[in-house]
Amino acid sequence: MEILKYIFKRILQTIPLLIIVSLISFFIIRLSPVDPLAELRLNPSVSKETLEKETQRLGLDKPIIVQYGKWAKSFIKGDLGITSNGEQVSTKLKERIPNTLLLTVVVIFLTWVVGIPLGILAALKWKTPFDRILTVLTSIGMAIPSFFFAVLLLIFAVRTGWFPVGGLTSANFADMGFFSQVKDIAHHLFLPVTVLFTLSLAGLQRQMRANMLDVLDSDYVKFARAKGLSEFKVVYKHALRNAINPLITLLGFEFAGLLSGAALTEYVFQYPGLGRLILEAVLKSDINLVMASLMMGAIMLILGNLIADILLIITDPRIRVKS
Amino acid sequence: MYVILILVLVLGLLKACIRRDVPVKDSAKVSNTQSKEIIFPEDKKTVTFNGIDYLQSQAPIGDFGGTFTASTIGEGPKTFNPFNTKDNISSTMSEIMYDGLLTTHSVTGQPIPKLAKSFSISDDGKEYTINLRHGVKWSDGKPITADDVVFTWRDIILAGLGNTSIRDSIIIDGKLPTVHKIDDYTVKFITPEPFAPFIRMLSTPVAPKHIFEPAVKKGSQYFDTFLSTNTKPEDFVTSGAFKLKEYVPAQRVVYERNPNYYMINKNGDKLPYLDRLVYLIVGDLNNEVLKFEAKELDTINLQGSKVARYKAMEPHSDFTIYNLGPNTGTLYLAMNLNDRKNDKGDFYVNPKKQVWFKDVNFRKAVDFAIDRKNMVLNIANGIGEPLFTAESLNSIFLNKNLKPYERDLNKSRELLRKSGFYWDKQGKLYDKSGNRVEFDMLTNAGNTEREAIGVMVKQDLEDLGMKVNFKPIEFNSLVNKLVNTLDWDMVIMGFTGSPLEPNGGKNVMMSDGTLHVYNMRLEKDKNSPRYDFEKRIDELFIKGALATKFEDRKKYYDEYQQIIYDEKPFIYIYSPTVIVAIRDKFKNIFPTTLGGLTHNIEEIYIDNPHPSSHKAQTPSPKGRGEG
Repeated sequence: MEILKYIFKRILQTIPLLIIVSLISFFIIRLSPVDPLAELRLNPSVSKETLEKETQRLGLDKPIIVQYGKWAKSFIKGDLGITSNGEQVSTKLKERIPNTLLLTVVVIFLTWVVGIPLGILAALKWKTPFDRILTVLTSIGMAIPSFFFAVLLLIFAVRTGWFPVGGLTSANFADMGFFSQVKDIAHHLFLPVTVLFTLSLAGLQRQMRANMLDVLDSDYVKFARAKGLSEFKVVYKHALRNAINPLITLLGFEFAGLLSGAALTEYVFQYPGLGRLILEAVLKSDINLVMASLMMGAIMLILGNLIADILLIITDPRIRVKS
Repeated sequence: MYVILILVLVLGLLKACIRRDVPVKDSAKVSNTQSKEIIFPEDKKTVTFNGIDYLQSQAPIGDFGGTFTASTIGEGPKTFNPFNTKDNISSTMSEIMYDGLLTTHSVTGQPIPKLAKSFSISDDGKEYTINLRHGVKWSDGKPITADDVVFTWRDIILAGLGNTSIRDSIIIDGKLPTVHKIDDYTVKFITPEPFAPFIRMLSTPVAPKHIFEPAVKKGSQYFDTFLSTNTKPEDFVTSGAFKLKEYVPAQRVVYERNPNYYMINKNGDKLPYLDRLVYLIVGDLNNEVLKFEAKELDTINLQGSKVARYKAMEPHSDFTIYNLGPNTGTLYLAMNLNDRKNDKGDFYVNPKKQVWFKDVNFRKAVDFAIDRKNMVLNIANGIGEPLFTAESLNSIFLNKNLKPYERDLNKSRELLRKSGFYWDKQGKLYDKSGNRVEFDMLTNAGNTEREAIGVMVKQDLEDLGMKVNFKPIEFNSLVNKLVNTLDWDMVIMGFTGSPLEPNGGKNVMMSDGTLHVYNMRLEKDKNSPRYDFEKRIDELFIKGALATKFEDRKKYYDEYQQIIYDEKPFIYIYSPTVIVAIRDKFKNIFPTTLGGLTHNIEEIYIDNPHPSSHKAQTPSPKGRGEG
C-alpha cells in the first residue's frame, strides 16, 4: 500500500516535468534556423504551389505556440503525428525499436552477467595478479573512445572478411531457415555488441569492485568473520547484499539508455536502430519524429529511476524504515 | 609486465587491421583514360509473336540467374508510390517497378517507346498519339490497356494527387493538357499550345487502374499514404522488369524479376536475366566504400579522392572502372544584381556594391580571375571538367560554340580599368568613387567541396586586389538569405539540372522564377524593371518551350547559353566527373553519360551464375526471325 501511494505520487510529479521538457525541446527545435523545406526550396523543378502546399501541410505557416498546442493535443491523445514525409511516426518508431532493444538488451545482459562476478572476484582477489590484469584491461576499455573502436573493428571486418560490414541481416535473410537466421543475426551483432560491451563492462566491473572492497572493509563483515561464519556466507549473504545497492540505481539509468544509449555505435555500424532514424530527423528538423524520440527518452529516464527506487525499497530495509 | 603483455595483444590486433594495401602510384591523369572500348548493341525493337508485342533486346545473349547488389545513401525510400515521391531515392526505388510509356535513348537522349509500341506527334505539335503494345500484362496477369494510361493521367497526374511537380510543369497559360482514349490500345494527348517539354513527361510511370482506382476514390489524403513503405510486397502490381520482394527499413530493398515482363532477348527468352536486384541502404559514403571492398556491393560511385586508389587496384581486382563523363551538377558563383529596396526602405545590397555587381566588366573580371583548372586538379582530384556554360556538359542542348578559356589576370585588370577601377600602391582595388572593393562571399558550411572552392576563389580574387570575406554559413540560413532576405553579395552554390530538358531550369533562369538567384524577385517586386539580358532570356525560354522541333529549340537554348556566357550573371566553375566501378562478372554493361551504368538492367547478366531454376520456367515464344 505504502509503495503504491509512493508510485502514484512519483507519477504525478512527472507530469509537470514532461510538460517542461516538451516545451523546451519544441521551442529549441523550432527556433533553430533549420528549415524543413530548405532542400525543396533549392530544387529548381519544385514549383511555388508545391512549396505552399508543403508549408501548410507541415503547419509551418502558424505561430510556434499554435504549432506546439496542436502537437501537445494529439500527443496526449496518443497520436504521435506524421513525419515530414507523411509516414506515421509510431510505425516508423515501431520498425526500429525492436532492433535497438535487441542490441541494448544483449549488451546489458552480457555486461551484468560478466561484470558483476568479475567485480566480486577482483575485490576478493584484491592486489593479486588477477586483479591487476583486470584493472589494466578495464582501463583500456574505458579509455578507448567508442567511435574510434567501432571504426577500428569495422576496418578489421573489411580486411579479414570474418564479419559483415554493418547492418543486421544478410540480403538473403528471408530465405533462410530459423537457425540460420539466428546465426546470421548473431554474426551481425557480434561487432557492435563487442564495442558496447567493452565500454560498459569496464565501468560496471570497477564500480562493483569498489563497492565490494568498501563493504568487505566494514565492521560488520569483520564481525561476521570473527564470529566464524564461512567465507561463502560472509561474502554472498552479508557483503554482497550491501555492495549491490548502488548498482540498482545504475540499473535505472541503464533502463533509460535502452532506446538511446547506442546511437553512435549504431551509426558507425549502420545498424537499423533508432539512432540513425533520429539523427536524420534532427538534421531535417522533422519535428514530430524528434519530439516523439525526445519524449520517449524522457519517459524512459523517469521510468528507469522509478523502477530503481522501487527495487531499492524492496532490497534495502533501511529505506523502508525511513519512509 | 602485464601491461606489456596486453600492449602486445592490442598491437597484434591493430596490425591485423592495417594489413597489406595496394601501393598508390601515379595518382594523376587517371580521369580521362578509358582503354576499354564499348560496342553498343543495336537499338531494341518490337517483335510480335502470338499477338504479343514484345520489346526485343539486341544485346548479346546471356545466362539467367543471380543477384545484382547496388546501394543507396541515406535513409532509404519514403514511399513506393511513384506519384508521391518527393526525393530521388523514392523515385528511383518506385520507378524500377513501373515503366513509362516512353523512355530516353541512353546514347542520343531522344525519347523512344518503352511501354508504348510507338508514338507520333502531329505537325502542329499539339497532339501526341501513343500506340500501346498488345498482350502486355501487369504482374498480376491483367492486360495493360489505354484505360490504365487515361486513368493515370486524368485521375492522378492532372487531378493533382500526390506530388504535383509534373502537373505544375505542364500548365501552359493556366491550361492543362487533356488525354483521350481512342481505342483499347491507342491514347491521344492534346496540349493547349505546342509544348515541347511535354514529350519528356510521357516517361512518367503508368499506374494499374484496377489497383489505384480504389485509392484515388478515397481522396488525396489517403493517396498520400497509399503504397507506402509499409505496404506488403505482394500487394504491388507492377509493369517494370523487377517487382518488390522485401523492404527492410534502414537495411535494404530487394526486388525479384517480374515474370510477365515484356522484354525478350534474341532467343525469345523473357528478360530480365537477373533473378534479383538488391539495394543496400547505407548511411554514408564511407560505409559504402567499406561495403564495396568487403564485396557486399557489386557497384559503387567513386568520389574524386578515391579514384586514384581504385584505379591502381583495378588491374589485379575483380572490378572495372568506367568514366561516365561530367555529371549534371553545375557549381557556380553568383553576384547579387538586385537593385531594389526591402520593406523597410533599405537596399537589399549596399548601393556602392550594386554599382560593381551590375557592371558587366566587373563580373567578367571576376570570371577571368578564377582558375578553374587549378580547382579541378586540387579540389576534385582531377576528376572533373571546367565549366563555362549554363547547361551541363552532358546536356543534349549544350552550346558547343562557347569555348573554354584560361585564367587571364591581365584581361581582368584591363576590364576593371575600363570601368574606372584603380589600384593603390599596395595593390588594393578601389572603384572610381574611391570605395575599397570589399564584399562577403557565402556558401553552405559543411559542404567541403564548396568550402574549398570558396577558399580558392578568395585567393584568386585577392590577386586582383579585392578584399573577399569568405563565410561558409549553415545551409538553412543560406537558403533563407537567397530566397527571402536577399541580403548577400556573392555566393557559391550548385544546381542539378536535366541533361535532356533545359526548360526544367526555368525557375532559375526566368526573371520571375522561384530560384532566380542572381536577381531574386519577391512577390511585391514581380513587376520591377528587368535588365535587357533578363528580358531576352525570358523570351527565349518561352519560345524554347513552345517550339517543337529539336533544331528550333536548340537555337533558342543556344542563345540563352550565349547570353549567360557573355553577361556572366552566373559564373560556372566546374562539373565533377562520374566514375563508377562494377564487378567483372556482370556482362552487357553499356554505360553512357546520360543513362549511367544500369540503364539496361534487363539485359545485364552474370557470367555462369549459380544454377538457377528460373531458366527452365522462362516461357519462350518460338520461331522468331533473328536479324
